[in-house]
Amino acid sequence: MRLTLFYAGLFLLLGTVLLAIVYVLASRGSTIDVAVPAPVVRRALKLPGGGVVLLPPTGPATDVVSQQHNADFDRLLTVSWIVLLVTTAGAAVLGWFAAGRVLRPVREITATARTISAGNLHERLALTGPNDEFKQLGDTLDDLLGRLEASFEAQRRFVANASHELRTPLTLERTLLQVALANPNATEETLRATCEELVASQVDHERLLEALLTLASSERGLERREPVDLPALVDATLRQLGPKLDRRRLATTVALHAASTTGDQALVARLIANLIDNAIDHNVDGGSVEIRTETLDGRAVLTVGNTGALIPPGETERLFEPFQRMDRTRTADDGHHGLGLSIVRAIAVAHDADVAATPRAGGGLTVTIRFPPQPQPPLA
Amino acid sequence: MRVLVAEDHGRLATAIAEGLRREGMAVDIAFDGGDALRHVAVHRYDVVVLDRDLPLVHGDEVCRRLREEQNNSRVLMLTAASTIRDRVDGLGIGADDYLTKPFDFEELVARVRALARRSTPALPPTLAHGDLTLDPARRTAVRGDVPLALSPKEFAVLEYLLAADGRVVSAEELLEGVWDEAANPFTNTVKTTVGRLRAKLGEPPLIETVREGGYRI
Repeated sequence: MRLTLFYAGLFLLLGTVLLAIVYVLASRGSTIDVAVPAPVVRRALKLPGGGVVLLPPTGPATDVVSQQHNADFDRLLTVSWIVLLVTTAGAAVLGWFAAGRVLRPVREITATARTISAGNLHERLALTGPNDEFKQLGDTLDDLLGRLEASFEAQRRFVANASHELRTPLTLERTLLQVALANPNATEETLRATCEELVASQVDHERLLEALLTLASSERGLERREPVDLPALVDATLRQLGPKLDRRRLATTVALHAASTTGDQALVARLIANLIDNAIDHNVDGGSVEIRTETLDGRAVLTVGNTGALIPPGETERLFEPFQRMDRTRTADDGHHGLGLSIVRAIAVAHDADVAATPRAGGGLTVTIRFPPQPQPPLA
Repeated sequence: MRVLVAEDHGRLATAIAEGLRREGMAVDIAFDGGDALRHVAVHRYDVVVLDRDLPLVHGDEVCRRLREEQNNSRVLMLTAASTIRDRVDGLGIGADDYLTKPFDFEELVARVRALARRSTPALPPTLAHGDLTLDPARRTAVRGDVPLALSPKEFAVLEYLLAADGRVVSAEELLEGVWDEAANPFTNTVKTTVGRLRAKLGEPPLIETVREGGYRI
């Protein structure tokens, strides 16, 4: 609509300009001096029944010529205006059709975009035709839809997995209780054993809930920014996990150089704990764990490496997805729930840090977290 | 009755198996889909309690393969997914019944029993022969007016023989249908149990030994 009016308006403007030029040119007229004997011109009246009556003569011919000239001129102007308006109308109509045709892809895009909702995000516009602005618009929107679909899909999978993982401890607890109650030969000992199992299950359940909440809150972003000293946090974590390292007879190499960043201390501590925990659990007995903090190019860098099972190159991405476990043959009650690395990534992203995971040639994994460069404090 | 429990959560699998064994069933456990398929290839199960979310081979795939191979085991699917869509999908894949987690254990037992009765030919809820009546759900057996005190294995053997309805049942078949994979096939377990059962059943004798065949009621 706007396009048509715009186009018709332009046309009218140009037409008027054209007319004005013609008008100016014509009104100046082409004057030539012609010496002709002034004819005597007599005006005559046409009678209704035919015939003509001569009227008394008037002024010289030039008056008549100029009058005729004026009359002709007026008629030219009038006709021109009429023609201009008609052609403008014609231009408007043609313009309407032309605009409609050219803008058809845009209407298609609008119509398709309206029908695409969460239910059918797999649909695409898939415009055909030459690679012009419309096709580029269509392709860009298709990319956007692709990203939306992937995101929705990831969300849906997360909810499905989380609900499964959360229901499993409930199922175990209920089954244990009901089987114990249905046992006609239940002794105090067997009941006590059941109670202890229940407590263990609840501890595990609580750990899962906490992990999910951490994941959710770190995806929301950081609530506070305080100075974070990486070597200190690593040290604290290692003191806690020391017994676990010893149990698996893992050789630990720790190199803690100065490295600090800003962020949420609790979350970064969680990140470190998850990385080291992961390095221990996916290791082989008698293997090794390497932990390193340092500052490179003004950025704090944390590296955790471990020996262990061989990881195929395409698998590293999958490890960071929630509820994915490296070893799919492991039974589901190993206390991990497959959330460790996805929490690491979420916390890193919240801190604007890079996460890189590289499988090692002999088996195992090295994970490197590079925190963003810190703005230098203004010199006093 | 022999049941396979396919569930990747180790502690839950053993809890379910324990409970079912206390109900007189022989129970084997598989911790992943591949293991489940291996078990089913080697043994005959009345019911397979199948968790949908299994590692290695997904529960849905296990169910599909059971149906494709026309395995006669009944399948009861367990899962945490609880939308109508998921339940419909589960039954559509070929499961005979569906339970969502968390479930009541009593309900699991009742449904497993109901499925086992549906094996061909369909069995009535109580089995009878002459003056002997056996109620599998209540775990009671009565001869005349006298209730019989049978051990779980004796009860299961009697139930199996009655269900066979006059057909000759070999010792191997009894071992397969009443004991789980933990049983040692080279001992005299079956023979001993049948002997004790006979003693408890009293006169006139009901169980007939068929030469080179097995046993028959």
